[in-house]
Amino acid sequence: MITRRLAGPAAALFAVLAMPALAQQPLRIGVVNPFTGPLALYGDEMTRGYEIAAEQANAKGGVLGRQIVLVRGSATNPQEAIAAVEQLVGRDKVELLSGTYVTAISNAGSEAALNNSKLYWETNALAKDLTDRGLPNFLRSGPDSNSFARRSVEGVLQLVQPRLAKPAKDLKIWIEHEDSAFGTSIAKEQERLLKEAGITPTLSSHSARAVDLSDAILRAKNANPDLWLSTGYVIDHNLLLRTAREQSFRPPAMMLVGTGDTFETLEAVGKEFLNGILLVSYPRTDVGESYGPGATAFLKAYQAKYSRDPIAPQAMSAYVGFKIMLEAVAAARSTEYEKVVAAAAAMDKPLGSYETGYGVKFDKTMQNVRALPLVAQWQDGTVRAVFPAEAIPQGGKVFDLGRR
Amino acid sequence: MADLVNVVTVGILLGGIYALVSVGLNLIFGVIRIVNFAQGEFVMLGMYGAYAGYAFLRLDPYVSLLVLLPLFFLFGAVVQRLLLAPLRNEPSMQIFATFGLLMLIENVVLALTRGTAYSVPSPVSQAGIGLFGIQVGVVRLIALAAATAAAVGLGLFLRNTMPGRAIRAVAQDRAAATLMGVDVERIYMITFGIGTALAGLAGCLLAPIYSLSPQIGTSFILPAFAVVVLGGLGSVLGAYVGGFVVGLTEALAGYYLDPALKYAVIFGVFVLVLIVRPSGLFGKVGAEEVGLRDQS
Amino acid sequence: MTSPDLAAAAAPRDAVPRRSAASRVKTFAGELPLALLVLGLVAGLIWALSGDSFALNILATTLLFAGLAGAWNIIGGFGGQFSLAHSVFFAVGAYTTANLYLKLGISPWLGIWAAAALSAAVAALVSWPVFRLRGPFFAIATMAFTEVALAIGNYAESLTGGTRGMSIPFRLGIQNMIFRDRLSYALLMFGFMALSLLVVVAVNRSRLGYYLQAVRDNEQAARAAGIGVLRVKLTGMAISAALTGIGGGLFFMQVRVADPAAMLSLFEFGVKFALIALIGGLGTIYGPLLGALVIIPLENWLRAEIGGTLPGANLIVLSLFLIGAALFMKHGIVGVGRAIAARVRRPRP
Repeated sequence: MITRRLAGPAAALFAVLAMPALAQQPLRIGVVNPFTGPLALYGDEMTRGYEIAAEQANAKGGVLGRQIVLVRGSATNPQEAIAAVEQLVGRDKVELLSGTYVTAISNAGSEAALNNSKLYWETNALAKDLTDRGLPNFLRSGPDSNSFARRSVEGVLQLVQPRLAKPAKDLKIWIEHEDSAFGTSIAKEQERLLKEAGITPTLSSHSARAVDLSDAILRAKNANPDLWLSTGYVIDHNLLLRTAREQSFRPPAMMLVGTGDTFETLEAVGKEFLNGILLVSYPRTDVGESYGPGATAFLKAYQAKYSRDPIAPQAMSAYVGFKIMLEAVAAARSTEYEKVVAAAAAMDKPLGSYETGYGVKFDKTMQNVRALPLVAQWQDGTVRAVFPAEAIPQGGKVFDLGRR
Repeated sequence: MADLVNVVTVGILLGGIYALVSVGLNLIFGVIRIVNFAQGEFVMLGMYGAYAGYAFLRLDPYVSLLVLLPLFFLFGAVVQRLLLAPLRNEPSMQIFATFGLLMLIENVVLALTRGTAYSVPSPVSQAGIGLFGIQVGVVRLIALAAATAAAVGLGLFLRNTMPGRAIRAVAQDRAAATLMGVDVERIYMITFGIGTALAGLAGCLLAPIYSLSPQIGTSFILPAFAVVVLGGLGSVLGAYVGGFVVGLTEALAGYYLDPALKYAVIFGVFVLVLIVRPSGLFGKVGAEEVGLRDQS
Repeated sequence: MTSPDLAAAAAPRDAVPRRSAASRVKTFAGELPLALLVLGLVAGLIWALSGDSFALNILATTLLFAGLAGAWNIIGGFGGQFSLAHSVFFAVGAYTTANLYLKLGISPWLGIWAAAALSAAVAALVSWPVFRLRGPFFAIATMAFTEVALAIGNYAESLTGGTRGMSIPFRLGIQNMIFRDRLSYALLMFGFMALSLLVVVAVNRSRLGYYLQAVRDNEQAARAAGIGVLRVKLTGMAISAALTGIGGGLFFMQVRVADPAAMLSLFEFGVKFALIALIGGLGTIYGPLLGALVIIPLENWLRAEIGGTLPGANLIVLSLFLIGAALFMKHGIVGVGRAIAARVRRPRP
């Protein structure tokens, strides 16, 4: 059964499997992600997190006494998600499913999983709607869109506002967002939270595939905001920032949500312009050991396996999510979704239990409420955690926002 | 008022980009009458070519150009010879084949790069010029200048050289051109080669503006078709002016109306123009009536 | 499953013009035995695969696209109007069905007929002005409609859920057209494919069908012969769009989640309908079904086999296949079949 789908990294797993002591049936886990198309890099990056988690678990004897084998199911849209789940369950005989970089894929994939009575463990997809559906086979171990919005607004109120020394009613905030589910859901929640704090922001959306975003920047520049707060994908964020540089749009503070924290943006925009820009993103491997115990070890494991630094912080979040799933499966002593979900619901771990600083406590929609993104900052070409205070690594500090 | 001047400047510069991308497409469309879906991918390949020049040889994109243009000409000629010429009498299959080519190129680049968003730095890519409070990116100015040069150069070539005249002859009446001793297949190869090289030129010059992704070609192709049809089939001036019409429409609609609606406005205007004046702003009246079959 | 039978019985009555039997050449009744035989074979395929939900899901998608490509073929193949706007009619049908179901509680079994009517109306309305364009100009103009529709779809949040998309809650039940097993979906899509095929046969063997082909072959001559060219094109487009709208409704009820960008994807739908028809055989009755039976399983199989390896690997292979098909099967699978049949019939001396 060594198939092409399990190429490369999985070969190591088979080497372990071949050992005579472990004759039991392996536990096959399906991974639903975009492995092609515009988001392939990130689908693959997340799956690397799973691969490291599975490898480490296998080295310790696997789960339920069985070795883990990952099987990939590629999907770039809802109809492909259904096909991928049918492939993984029907043909590849997986017992559990996990994913996903994209909300729409998770949405269709998890329903198809329910039709096949399989667990769908979501580690990354953001939209809050996913857990609001109340599917009995679905839960999310990572942060949702609301926690990204909440974290960004906390950052605004506790980092930005004091430094700008302006009362809430005078604070001008421009919210820019890409116009799909991802950007829209975060921006709407940001608007609600800011209004609660007495700030009235201006919202503006753009298409992530637009050839030109000068209009978006000119409109923002014209509004002369104190803070430019943007949610988007990599490509459109890069274009927005480059246009901002070209148009000399330098508001006192800038904050990017979701992306903009990778080398791709650094290469595109350059470290001078990025200096001081705040980022709301998944916790990175450089969070302090007291906040995210084991983050450095994860970085080492990633480097050893893939001979490079993680491309994006999504990998570590996926890694942690996969670990929590394995713990829930072990506690449930079963792969049946009712039992695993019940076991997960019973878990209670404080913040700071995992590499990303996450804990485990599921609310009644089965959203992990102890999975929180961080605020970081571009500082001389590197990204450093700056909020909350306990996530700041030793010797780290908040830069001046640097955008006068 | 300052706003308007600023937005118009942005629109003109964007128009330069569209004109640059569309000149080659218009030539191919006008002469060979192929709906070339893959033209955006040629632009994308030009960008990655500039990246390769930078990554492996530390070449500035404006230097890489000298190597890339001949390569793109050859590539286009080969594509025409091997892929499109055999389908000469099957216009629908040609559309289909260029679509297959689009998929192939996009995914080969994806496989090679894993989809990482590359950037091509150039000394001028960070530079901006400020004039009376209006900011202008130097890269965009260069693109505008290149679009103008390409349009003028192509116009002179078509008007004053033998191959250029032969291309025009084929575009106007294939049968008559054949009777006059023009080797139509050769002209098609040359035309497709020039069109591809122009796409490569556009890609190279635009590389410093964008983050490169394998999908970026498809973002250009729809506006480029709008430009070509708006401006007028086979009219070099049309593609040039059409670029500015689309660029200005986009900038004005995006700024004064809503960025989310700008494509609806562009394509709305496009369909309207097409209905009112099917031959485009500068096209020969009746060109649009030359259906797929009549030219076979 | 009641739908296939119902659909099959209803279709010909709706679509055949009254005096079609008057035509001397091939008739609807003459084509019927072959059509029924083909449908029987496909039904046999479903029966053979029942129990394998992976294969059934692929088969369901295949049959859906067979029906959609067949619908496109009416105007694109027989009528020679290379429309790239069919993803718009597809989306109109999908959102009509979904809105009727979600907001008014109207069962999708009824909703799809409203979807058909609305899609046909929209199609007639938007194609009226562009039917004066020909060849590539028509193709590009219809392509532009997709972009306009996308912007409108993203804006009309109350109808489409906006960019965040719309999803239909999972409520099992035949009245909701929501099933747990893939066999039901395969049968549902079989019903749609059968409907589409019978409408195609009816159109093709009717006066309208001959008019459409006359317009395709030579518009001026057709006009000179007294054919109301615009009327013929509009009727063909409306029938084609109505079927496409039904397909859109069924698709939405199967996937149950979509945003306008996904529904109006030019490459996922608009171009694909044409592609399948082309690869099967443009302007032939069974071409779209054959094309779908080749393309969709191949696409799914490649995705399952190599989709997880190198990014884009499955699409590289698929695109090479498409290019090869374009070069070596210029008249599609049906064309190859005909060539072989001709050779067998007339062996070389």
